[in-house]
Amino acid sequence: MKTFAPLLHSYWYLFRGAGMTVLMATTAVVPATLLGALLALAQIFGSRATRSAIVGYIFIIRGIPLLVLLTFVYYLLPLTGVDLPPFWGVVLVLACYYAAFMSEAFRAGILSLPQAQWDAAKSLGMSRRLMLRIVIFPQALRLAAPPFINLCINLIKATSLVSIVGLWELTMASREVVERTLAPFQIFLAAAAMYFCICYALALYGKYLERRVLVGH
Amino acid sequence: MPIDVHFLARLFPALLEGAEVTVELAVLTMAICVVWGLVVALGQATRGPLGWAAGAYIQIVRNTPLLIQMYIVYFGLSLVGVPLSGFASGLLALCLQNGGYVAEIYRGGLQSVSARQYEAGRALGMRRWTLYRSVILPQVIARVIPPLANQGISITKDTSQVAAIAVMEIMKVAQVWVESSANTYDVFLAVGLIYLVLTSVISVGARVAERQLAFVS
Repeated sequence: MKTFAPLLHSYWYLFRGAGMTVLMATTAVVPATLLGALLALAQIFGSRATRSAIVGYIFIIRGIPLLVLLTFVYYLLPLTGVDLPPFWGVVLVLACYYAAFMSEAFRAGILSLPQAQWDAAKSLGMSRRLMLRIVIFPQALRLAAPPFINLCINLIKATSLVSIVGLWELTMASREVVERTLAPFQIFLAAAAMYFCICYALALYGKYLERRVLVGH
Repeated sequence: MPIDVHFLARLFPALLEGAEVTVELAVLTMAICVVWGLVVALGQATRGPLGWAAGAYIQIVRNTPLLIQMYIVYFGLSLVGVPLSGFASGLLALCLQNGGYVAEIYRGGLQSVSARQYEAGRALGMRRWTLYRSVILPQVIARVIPPLANQGISITKDTSQVAAIAVMEIMKVAQVWVESSANTYDVFLAVGLIYLVLTSVISVGARVAERQLAFVS
């Protein structure tokens, strides 16, 4: 029992850290999804210039580690004179970063619909708006749901990186506790278990959605 | 923002030294994961406790952050008398995490080959080994190369996280230079460029490999 004493004293602190992780991830996932959807639509229906701008954006985001962008913003924010609290700075970076991946997931969902769906809607005399709203989007969203959930899991895991630039969440909390108790195994394993509970719950939901997607085919 | 050429001339050799460590870590991780992922995928395909253990391994490493895994390996193992260097801990954690992802990629590749391919091979009187070598594996390889390349890109980006356990790769070198020179823009521009080059090499290489190896389009 003595081995787990550090945990008994600090589990509540870790739980609060986990709460902060969830708060940060949910705050970031909303703008990431909206921006991702916007980018996906602009890349499919936009002009040539818009399309190449978005391709460039995705290329850059996919090629640079999130940690580089987070550190960049961490050092840069104080220099620009913009009075943005670190929490929002980090949320902004996470949102812009994951928007690029989400737009790819959404775009793949829309483009993997068979051409016949577009043709059928057009031949029924639907306007483009109506066609997108009642034919394309409902099906595309179902296809994009499993990769979307995976991206959410990645985003939650990625929030651990903000501890490197000094923000407080589960990983930072566990590091603080380890510095006080010198029990890295117990504390980090407990933190890992908390991340696992959050992410695995989402993963199970994703699997459920995936099964539902396959029902139609 | 004017770019200081003299500063860049001093910065680049240092960053390239860091890049060498990054490339070493990334290449070693990829090489190990290609094999380890296959072992896990084959293990998962079996029934009984081995299959269950492989499945649990995949879920655990995929649903916890790499950073926490690194901390467990780096700080935890040294406490129980197995002190690993930062580089070795980083490598071990990177392999643990990405092995889970690569195993899933193999599983997806194997499942995507339809049962008829096996039946047709057997109907032609092929032996098990011939069937796999000349019918199944070429199709699997063609299908796993694009996701493997994506994983390679993600591994390369993930190596930046070993900066948190004091390994002098690009990211850590960059942090040192930013803190000693306050030339944030130049340093991050250079770091971003190096990562973009590294990840682009992987995607171009994958496209070439795909064209060489794929006989089914």
